[in-house]
Amino acid sequence: MADYFFVPVGEQSLNLIFPNLIDVKKNQLIQHIARYLLRPDTDLPGIVDVIPAYHTLTVNFDPALLQADELQDYLDRLIQSKKLEASAPVKHVLLLPVCYDEEFGPDLTSVADYGHMTVPELIDLHSSLDYFVYMLGFLPGFAYMGTVPDRIAMPRLDQPRAVIAAGSVGIAGQQTGMYPLQSPGGWRLLGRTPVRLYDPKRPAPLYEAGDYIRFQAISRADYNKIQQLDQAGKFQLAQRKEAGS
Amino acid sequence: MIGATVIDKGLSASIQDLGRFRHQIEGFPTSGAIDQAAFCLANDLVNNPVNAAAIEFCLLGPSLKFHFRTFIAITGAVCPVFVNAQRAEENQVLEIFENDVLTFGPVKRGRYGYIAFAAGGLLTVPVLDSRSTTLRAGIGGLDGRLLQKGDQLPLNECYQMPSLQSRQYAVDEKKVVTGIRVVKGPQWSLFDPAAQENLVKQTFTVSTQADRMGYRLTEKLLPAAQVSLLSEGTVFGNIQITRNGQPIVLLADRQTTGGYPVIATIIAADFSAFVQMPLGQKFAFTLVDLPKAQQELLVRRQRFKRLLASWQQARYQFPIGPARKAAVKIQALLASENEGD
Repeated sequence: MADYFFVPVGEQSLNLIFPNLIDVKKNQLIQHIARYLLRPDTDLPGIVDVIPAYHTLTVNFDPALLQADELQDYLDRLIQSKKLEASAPVKHVLLLPVCYDEEFGPDLTSVADYGHMTVPELIDLHSSLDYFVYMLGFLPGFAYMGTVPDRIAMPRLDQPRAVIAAGSVGIAGQQTGMYPLQSPGGWRLLGRTPVRLYDPKRPAPLYEAGDYIRFQAISRADYNKIQQLDQAGKFQLAQRKEAGS
Repeated sequence: MIGATVIDKGLSASIQDLGRFRHQIEGFPTSGAIDQAAFCLANDLVNNPVNAAAIEFCLLGPSLKFHFRTFIAITGAVCPVFVNAQRAEENQVLEIFENDVLTFGPVKRGRYGYIAFAAGGLLTVPVLDSRSTTLRAGIGGLDGRLLQKGDQLPLNECYQMPSLQSRQYAVDEKKVVTGIRVVKGPQWSLFDPAAQENLVKQTFTVSTQADRMGYRLTEKLLPAAQVSLLSEGTVFGNIQITRNGQPIVLLADRQTTGGYPVIATIIAADFSAFVQMPLGQKFAFTLVDLPKAQQELLVRRQRFKRLLASWQQARYQFPIGPARKAAVKIQALLASENEGD
């Protein structure tokens, strides 16, 4: 039984939609389909772009070359085939240093209160999980990650902040993520990474959807040290690779 | 080679091409010309490949001083154009000589204008496969920013333009568009029948909060019943309805993903009319089905193909030399292609 369906977004785009859930397995499937469609040697002409998200894949196509029903048939066959399994995932975990300082994390206390725990307990909990990157969106390199434990899954602020510093780490319900650029935003801020997450001179992101990120709590002194190294181009993110789950 | 210098930056002038595709997966907005039809026409007029980079401006064009011979074309918003203070025409090829100065008067109708340059357009360094400027990401164009006074624009010299005399396009500058066609959006069914009905019954205006990311409309609609939506991909022309009922039409610099329900999507054939909608102009949405929307898009493309073919045809003076008989037949064939325009 297929657990997905198709909905047109316009005459040049189609949504492939899985159940309205945040689910790693389904999201991995979506990522694999997206990358399969973007292959330069694709056997399907007319694909313009793809946008994988939590439970959806938006496919933009050229209606002169490809019709929506042809695309649907193709995706049906692709999902049923074994083509996507060849790229079985290796769990790729990036270790990202984060300073959970009160100055960087103005919402530490309110989130700790929400979870009926102390701030150190909150920091331990938030940095004890490998977070799966479900999608990049909003800003270049903004990673939507999960899953944050229910106890501390505090909803976003009612009134977004006008300015959030680049590198800020926050949570919004069961999602957690980093602001790669200074921007307005409503996520609850817990800390900040000294690593430059987006550089217009090297715009390719450090991580992609399907990767995992593990936060590593660091001191203020280490924050400053890593920031200096990073700015000099001498800091390399530590990584861990595990066989696919 | 430096072909021109910016002597006045105009308003929100940036370098754009068709857009940055296949990087939305990394969170990069596509950007690209907000009025793709006007952008493509400008490139067609100067005999460029379709994706050659051009200057896009909003409400006031930049002033440029040229350093060598070339050809340019201005399209999009209706505005006075001057070359060396002499009035020049939009929607046709303009021959440019060394030291010529291009200036503009404020836009009289529409919003976004284009300046295309012959022999391949602006030759800035592509970033992630595109020359389009994305301001928020600081990439593309000139260091990811708007044009500034003193900027040097890299161009190719150009001495010849095939069928120069016929390269013009008649635009009805007085035409008022009051109907924008839409197809049902992915969250259409989440909206109350009253909202669905009002979308096509009431009139709308574009508010002053309108930029390359999106246009907020002034009139509100009944918002969708509170449904928590996971963010999903966005496309050009999506009409999002925020929690307080505000419609926002997503455009070239839109975020790649969004979480507001989309009631409808403007059809591609009407993108140009919508983005050029004059300030305060009342318009209404009309609902069409997907086959109609596709047909309109393909008809529009076909019309431009014929226009290009007619310029190619004019390049040769029929009949010529020994090929006289064949030439007459070819001409007749091409002429029949042009019917029904």
